[in-house]
Amino acid sequence: MKKTLLLLIWLSPGIIYAQGFMVNLNGQKQIGMGHTGTGLLQDGASVVFNPGAMAMLSENYLQAGISPLFFKSGFQGAGASGTAFVKEKVATPFNAYAVWGPKAARWKVGLGVYTPFGGLIDWGSNWQGKYVLESLDLKAIFFQPTVSYKLTDYLSIGAGFVYNHASVDLQRAIPVSGPDGNPGQARLTGGGRGYGWNAGIFIKPSSKFTIGLDYRSQVNTTIKKGDAFFSVANSLQANFPQPNTFMAGIPLPANASIGFGYTPDAKWTVAFDANFVGWHSYKSLAFDYASNTSTLQDTYSPRNYKDAFSLRGGAQYKTSRKVAVRLGGGYASTAVNDGYVTPEVPDANRYYLTAGLGYKLTNKLDLDFSFEYEHLFSRFQTNIESNLSGTFKSNVYIPGVSLSYHW
Amino acid sequence: MKTFNKYIYFAATFALFAGCKPSFESPKKSEGTADFTRYISVGNSLTAGFADNGLYLEGQQNSYPSIIAKQMALVGGGTFTQPLFTEAQANGSTYLKLTGFNPNGTPITTTVTENNAVRGKVTIPGFGDVTLLTKYSGDLNNYGVPGIKLKQITYAPYGNLNPYFERLLPGNPPTNNTTYLDFVTAKDFTFFTDWLGYNDALGYATSGGAGDVLTDKTQFAQLYTLSISKLTEKGAKGAVATIPDVTSVPYFTTVTVGAILGAVQKANPQAQALYVNARATVDITNTTYAPRAATASDLIVLTFPTAKIGAMVTSPVGMVPYGLTPYAPIENQYVLDNNEVTIVKDYVTDYNKTIKAVAATKGLAVFDAYFYLNGVKANGLLIDGVSANSSYISGGIFSLDGVHLTPRGYAIVANQFIKAINSNYGSTIPAVNISNYRGVKFPN
Repeated sequence: MKKTLLLLIWLSPGIIYAQGFMVNLNGQKQIGMGHTGTGLLQDGASVVFNPGAMAMLSENYLQAGISPLFFKSGFQGAGASGTAFVKEKVATPFNAYAVWGPKAARWKVGLGVYTPFGGLIDWGSNWQGKYVLESLDLKAIFFQPTVSYKLTDYLSIGAGFVYNHASVDLQRAIPVSGPDGNPGQARLTGGGRGYGWNAGIFIKPSSKFTIGLDYRSQVNTTIKKGDAFFSVANSLQANFPQPNTFMAGIPLPANASIGFGYTPDAKWTVAFDANFVGWHSYKSLAFDYASNTSTLQDTYSPRNYKDAFSLRGGAQYKTSRKVAVRLGGGYASTAVNDGYVTPEVPDANRYYLTAGLGYKLTNKLDLDFSFEYEHLFSRFQTNIESNLSGTFKSNVYIPGVSLSYHW
Repeated sequence: MKTFNKYIYFAATFALFAGCKPSFESPKKSEGTADFTRYISVGNSLTAGFADNGLYLEGQQNSYPSIIAKQMALVGGGTFTQPLFTEAQANGSTYLKLTGFNPNGTPITTTVTENNAVRGKVTIPGFGDVTLLTKYSGDLNNYGVPGIKLKQITYAPYGNLNPYFERLLPGNPPTNNTTYLDFVTAKDFTFFTDWLGYNDALGYATSGGAGDVLTDKTQFAQLYTLSISKLTEKGAKGAVATIPDVTSVPYFTTVTVGAILGAVQKANPQAQALYVNARATVDITNTTYAPRAATASDLIVLTFPTAKIGAMVTSPVGMVPYGLTPYAPIENQYVLDNNEVTIVKDYVTDYNKTIKAVAATKGLAVFDAYFYLNGVKANGLLIDGVSANSSYISGGIFSLDGVHLTPRGYAIVANQFIKAINSNYGSTIPAVNISNYRGVKFPN
């Protein structure tokens, strides 16, 4: 009974998962426990959660997981001018890690491939805000080779280099009609890259307590030569030169985390993470077109995001030698100031609840399921740039599964 | 493994959530203290859905009363029927279409004449020829009659002179003798919008102060009071709109003195000024006109054939270039000179005082179109990512004739009426989604 209570206590203070277009789906065991992991030694996901913890892992890992993400967002226009819901589309954040080091060595090397940022949202071409955004598909895949070294039995450190491969596909309607009365269409697609690093420290003051500190740097990502397609009535086409390219950059924010782990006995693991995201880096979204006209100017949209934080908690209970049950939750503050909320990221403060189930298929093979429910608080907004005015509401459902081989 | 299955069920219940999208409370539906069972719209071309210098099916389908009625239906309003042209005669009175641009960027418009609804022509003695349109009979809620002035609503023979009114009446000219006011009030109604009065000033303004006269202020007040009394005598509630500042529309702001002079000076740097035939004073009784150099306060009409400028014409002093000397000034009908502007503004201000005062005595909702459209002219609009302004063609609100609106413009007007109605009667008519309505159609 006491233990059940403990579990509930961990659930009640909200925890966090994501703000803005950050996607914290970096490992199924960690998702199940409310995205905690900075101060724990769970598995190969330490590559992202805390490279410093890698050298402390008792085994080597090869693992991969996927978290199909169902983002259900709705909009109700001010003055009751109608409601719109995003289309059923499934984003597929994934994570894959390899961690290896000789059994007796004080070091380990690792590689992580994961998707910490992204967004997939499709409002369709017939909603109130179609001239602001029809759809956005933004992906960032981080590749992170990492090394970790155990300085003493109590302290290990680690660091990795981050290469980001990003892609964007943005569509919106242009409010000039062709002869059929239908609006024009703009589509911006392209790929870009960015670089950064991830470093962490892991401390083990006792056999029961663990502490982790992690810092992931800002990753400035630039799309140098994306394709800009504009489809308008022929008589206007000269105003929207084709072919055309654009340049755009986005500074993916830095993350600082501190995490605590408590393992009172062989069955229980409890964790708490606090996370700070330097979203202030995202000042504007600017598109610089290679060919400009008086109609097609470079655009500069202020975003002025603010730093955000999240608090996360979770627990794992091993009901048997083979089965582990996990629960967790969190609260995340929004990165988006009032007036800056857009349909591309209908952000708001949010809480989330997670659950997970681990099953040891064999001594060396783990099958882990995770499920997450995220609720964004209803937010009435009038955007300063578009005057799009209304209430956004979003819920997110994220099942996930991973397979880990360890030896 | 047995316990494991139990957990799978547990996981499955979680997964069920995955079908749920966020929900919004339906806005509460209320007519407030109004009753929208039978809504009628009274007014002129703007009310009829006139656009691009014609009344045609697409314009009618996007008239602001039809948009308001659709939204009213969401809170319990009744059906709303318009005197639509048939699909076979969809181009109605004929209208202007944008067909391209000249190399200098000026638009080329062409009149669409096929599939029109012209049924013939009749000569009315003492008036002239009236082109007749296919009659409409049947239910009627939108009584908008293009061209009608407030001054004409009690004039019995008017049904023989205005083809848009004539087509709504059962009889053939010259037998019609139902006044507009009697016609619209013949059948009971519970709610009305009334946007009459614009033509009482616009006719004078668009003819450069030459082809029409302003309706006398006192007569305007008498007729406005009479019409509102009649519209409200059986308890109907309603909304009225003020008359826009005629100089806020692109018909007067697109072809400017500066632009014409600039073009002239490109070819002929010696040209110093344009000359217009202008009213000598702001005294309405003094009809003296004299040539003088034009200034930026003189408004040239959109339909002015700019090719006339500089063409050699005869004058008292021999052949001179048109518009560039005091001997052959730009003719009166193409110019609303600054004194005429002052006169029109004075009349419109007075008409609007009447409209607001009469509306106040009856507790009617008021959409202040004068204030609103001047605001649009000064600041533009930004709605759901769409910028709109009062510029010709690119502004998206005004249709190709520079006076009447595009579907987007009419939708914006509908929302302003809805706002005024909701605020006056406590109703909750939902606003319409502007993104669904187009601006000017551009050709391929």
